[in-house]
Amino acid sequence: MSTDSAGQAKKQGYKNVKVYLEGEPAWIKAGNPTYASKEFISKGNIVLLDLRSAEKSGAGRIPRSVTIPYATLKDKVESLPKKAPIVLYSDNTEESMSALKDLREAGLKKVSLVPGNMEGWTKTGGETTSGPVITTIEWKRQLEKGEVSAADFQSAASGKATDAVILDVRTKDESAAGKYKNAISIPLDQVGSRKGELPKDKKIYIHCTTGARADMAAKELNKNGYNAFYLVGDVTCAGNDCTIVD
Amino acid sequence: MRKTLIKFIPFLIMTSLLTAGCATTGTTPPKLIPQHGSGSGNRSIALAEVPVYMGNVADVSNKAKVIAIEVGKGAEAKTILVKFDDKTQGIEHAVAGHASIINYEMRGGEPWATVVKPKLAKLPDGVTELKTADLKAMQDKGEKFTLVDSRPAKRFAPSNLPGAINIPVDEFKDQINKLPANKDELLVFYCGGPT
Repeated sequence: MSTDSAGQAKKQGYKNVKVYLEGEPAWIKAGNPTYASKEFISKGNIVLLDLRSAEKSGAGRIPRSVTIPYATLKDKVESLPKKAPIVLYSDNTEESMSALKDLREAGLKKVSLVPGNMEGWTKTGGETTSGPVITTIEWKRQLEKGEVSAADFQSAASGKATDAVILDVRTKDESAAGKYKNAISIPLDQVGSRKGELPKDKKIYIHCTTGARADMAAKELNKNGYNAFYLVGDVTCAGNDCTIVD
Repeated sequence: MRKTLIKFIPFLIMTSLLTAGCATTGTTPPKLIPQHGSGSGNRSIALAEVPVYMGNVADVSNKAKVIAIEVGKGAEAKTILVKFDDKTQGIEHAVAGHASIINYEMRGGEPWATVVKPKLAKLPDGVTELKTADLKAMQDKGEKFTLVDSRPAKRFAPSNLPGAINIPVDEFKDQINKLPANKDELLVFYCGGPT
């Protein structure tokens, strides 16, 4: 994308054009901060953390913020939702940078900052709110396009919902160790050649162990006229007893 | 071994020619590579097809030995599952999120990867590359330039570089007014990766 854009800029007559080819992933890897856009901070499905004191947060904060003073962040890292985009701010650059580093080191992959911290937010006309602070995180992952909810999946797996079948795309060995009782087992690498075993008049809910292979299988089936959805979540089975952890 | 290498030379030449921008996706029609006739005295040229998938790798499953690659653009966009095995060359270049070129052959009606190559970015004429340290130094010194994120708005919103503006590559012409009017000013473009 960047090289294509640079080429277009050249064509438009820009004389001095460069490309940072390694891009955003390399920038993060080198320990540098990235920032969230204003709209994402206001409306995105995020966890927005105010690292300042409860006092300051109560007096004025960005709407939807959860107040976790920096000194207490270390104890809360484990309880942060792993899949959530987390956006941080403080009134102190050193503090927000340290927090960013701490969370990235803890394995959280989607952490960014409010540009200019609290000051930057108000300076650019960002809305604020005041009053008792919020200290508990309530975040729910939104289903991606083509994903089935764990509830709908379970309803079909238990036989309650009859408009869908369960497809298990794990390997033969994995399925042999434990599987949903009603599941049709077709390992991902055979989905292309064995898709004829699946019904076209029912929804197909696909699972593997995390969702990665299920997603791939769903794309393959939908391309071929099936109505397939994939489950994201850690599925573990003992016998016919399976559990899903998001 | 020598024979194997020779066999792959057309693939290598071809893949090295197929260079394109960062994470742009596309299908290339099967390329026709002329080969000389088999000494029958016939001067006609036989054509051998080397089918290729080019695009962004959506995912790789080592358990199932399958690569999911996104090819095509817009309404033509689709994800293709390509199998691989121990004989597939360069499987380490199949990394989720990276653009790749996969040479494949059909076996039993299904595509199998023969060679996987990274899709290398080619800089347009007169455009130079900045490394992370270069960009960081320019920012620290407060140099004046326009930093442009070429990714879609959905990718820009959660995580963008300090001071960057967003002009998605597909909307470049519509949003060109975001760029400085003075065409001597420095522009730096980036996106989500090197390939």
